[in-house]
Amino acid sequence: MTDNATRAGLPTTRRFLPRPETWLGHISEHRHWAYFLIVPSILFIFVIILYPTANGIVLSFREMRLTRPDLGTDFVGLRQYADMLSDPVFWVALYNTVKWATAAVLLEFILGFAAALTLNRDLPGMKVIAVLILLPWFLPNVVAGNIWALMLDPRLGVLNDIFVRLGFLSEGMAWLADPDTALWTAVVIEAWHGYPFFALLFLAALKGIPKDHYKAAAVDGAGAIQSFWHITLPAMKMVIAAAVILRVIGLVNSPELLLILTGGGPGNTTQVLSLYAFQTAYLRFDFGYAGALSVVMFIILMAFCILYLRFLRIRD
Amino acid sequence: MTIKAELSRRQMLAAGGAVGAAGLLGGSLPAWAATDVTYWHHFTSQSEFAGLAGIMEDFHAANPEINILQENIPNAEYMAMFTSAVIADSRPDTCMVTSDRLPDMVALGGLVDLTDRINGWDKHQFYSEAAWDGITFDGQIYGIPAFSFVNWMYYRKDWLEEAGLEPPDTFEDFLEAAIAITDPSQGRYGFGLRGGDGGQSMLQDVFDSYGAFDYDGGSIAINVPNAVEALRFYTGLLTEHQVAQPSAAGDSYRQIMEGFRTGQTGMVWHHTGSLAEISDALSPDQFGTALRPSGPAGRIARVSYLYNGIMNPRHADDGWQWIAHWGDVDAAITLLEATGYFPATSEVADDPRITSNPLYEAAVQSLAIGVPLPKIVGLAGWMRTSMLPEFQRVLVGTATPEEAVDAMAQALDREVN
Repeated sequence: MTDNATRAGLPTTRRFLPRPETWLGHISEHRHWAYFLIVPSILFIFVIILYPTANGIVLSFREMRLTRPDLGTDFVGLRQYADMLSDPVFWVALYNTVKWATAAVLLEFILGFAAALTLNRDLPGMKVIAVLILLPWFLPNVVAGNIWALMLDPRLGVLNDIFVRLGFLSEGMAWLADPDTALWTAVVIEAWHGYPFFALLFLAALKGIPKDHYKAAAVDGAGAIQSFWHITLPAMKMVIAAAVILRVIGLVNSPELLLILTGGGPGNTTQVLSLYAFQTAYLRFDFGYAGALSVVMFIILMAFCILYLRFLRIRD
Repeated sequence: MTIKAELSRRQMLAAGGAVGAAGLLGGSLPAWAATDVTYWHHFTSQSEFAGLAGIMEDFHAANPEINILQENIPNAEYMAMFTSAVIADSRPDTCMVTSDRLPDMVALGGLVDLTDRINGWDKHQFYSEAAWDGITFDGQIYGIPAFSFVNWMYYRKDWLEEAGLEPPDTFEDFLEAAIAITDPSQGRYGFGLRGGDGGQSMLQDVFDSYGAFDYDGGSIAINVPNAVEALRFYTGLLTEHQVAQPSAAGDSYRQIMEGFRTGQTGMVWHHTGSLAEISDALSPDQFGTALRPSGPAGRIARVSYLYNGIMNPRHADDGWQWIAHWGDVDAAITLLEATGYFPATSEVADDPRITSNPLYEAAVQSLAIGVPLPKIVGLAGWMRTSMLPEFQRVLVGTATPEEAVDAMAQALDREVN
């Protein structure tokens, strides 16, 4: 064949170029083939996740006040973090974040579990009830926040009117303007809005548990509580872990509801880290300090996830 | 039966050529050939939307080749959206601008310098120096006044008459009147105090009425004794005298306005733009308008203007047509009739529809002595993130005026100066 090619005046090097399918076939049998396959995914993760995350972390070590170009954008080391330690609003926000996320997740978990257990029964009308129970989840945070703000309005709110008529209150109460009630009121609203998330996931998990397990347990003399404790809960463990982690991350990272309901007030009593970072970036335009606040949130969430998963494993 | 619409490459080219030729020919263009000009605003009430719709209709009739695509951005998120649009370079063509936000918007590089266009504009002369001053930064002009905000006071005429009092002229009169008309057993409070979002602007006016701010060019300092006195007076309306509604610490525009409209508060501070809304709820015998009361250091009659600027140079000429249209007599009257917003241009200020209405008398007086907002980079952010929370802390009893002013001063040094 070589002789034929030379005689025809074709470049002799051509015969050394493998055809694509041959080349791919050759590479696919190499031990690094698996790495080639995941290159697109790694690139995607780098561009979408790692680069912005790294950029945000780098930002926290720089001066970055958009309205003060005279200050430059130099590297300032740990100054933003040192400032944070002496910032009283940061500590209030940190404490409130823990209270906010813990209380809201607990309440949503309990309500969600109760709703899922209810919906898991084969009773007439359950589909309609399911839609009603899941309805709050369909509402955007902004809409839910404004609806509740109006219902709780001390002058015009329907809830205050009901409480006054029932004799629980002598006059309309400013639930969101009182530092003793503002955060807990917001937690209740958040729980109302977020519990369908748990209900939905738990219901899916409950549907996946074979009925035979319960029948076998009943034959062995197990009651409802024992069945729940020894069959339902273990079978749902992974779903519970995933749901709690996702919800905590969502609550810690999302300031919308508090932004609508209280704006962090009165007097920072409902200030949380995500809202503080948002206000620092978009009202004070201090993206360096906002970046540092975000990094702290990131570390807290990572620590929570690790500890939580480790806790579940220990229990296991 | 299926009908297939297939074009050969030659037919496609012919069609494209025909479209191009049509575009080059003179005469009116079809609607689909018009330029889209996007406009960001933060109007909130139905009356404002009605006014905007009227202006857009007038504009489209005069400029059929330009389509205005308005987009409403909630005021609380306006700067966040503005910042994101600048950073991501996804700017709208035109946008609303307020004086207090101007320094930050310019510092962000978000507005197009319009100095040359405005200096050559034939309507330039109809606007006051104060109006241009509010949109000028470092000698450059960044927008055209659309209408004016004249801050004044609404009061319950019938309640004050019952108490045998005149509309208050000083802070002492104001406190006396508020005490006289407060009756918690009837759910009546003398003053609708705004302690939620936006309340910082009213506190700023009180501070200025006490001489609590020292302005020096582009910097600002707090006169601590005066600031403490101002804060004690203003928060004392709730904490000491209980003449403000108990929910004050969380009440924003909507709450204080509903409180006044529904007969729960007797006096409220806002600007002329609420007149239409209040007139719908209360009869002329029930309410009146007056200048804001004066404090120990003077009367602060804040007059500010709302401006329209160009964010994106992409359609600068069409954008200019749009923002200049707001200065036309018909557009200003359309907005006035829909909202009560005062025209910014003197070309229409003497219109009989303004001069014949006694409710506008206080606004005309305020315009004569009105002062603009100070233009200091970072001030608006400090007011929202430091001044307002500290004010709220005093309102809810978790800080004294001294502690709050101390915290405000520290934050001011850190964030602004």
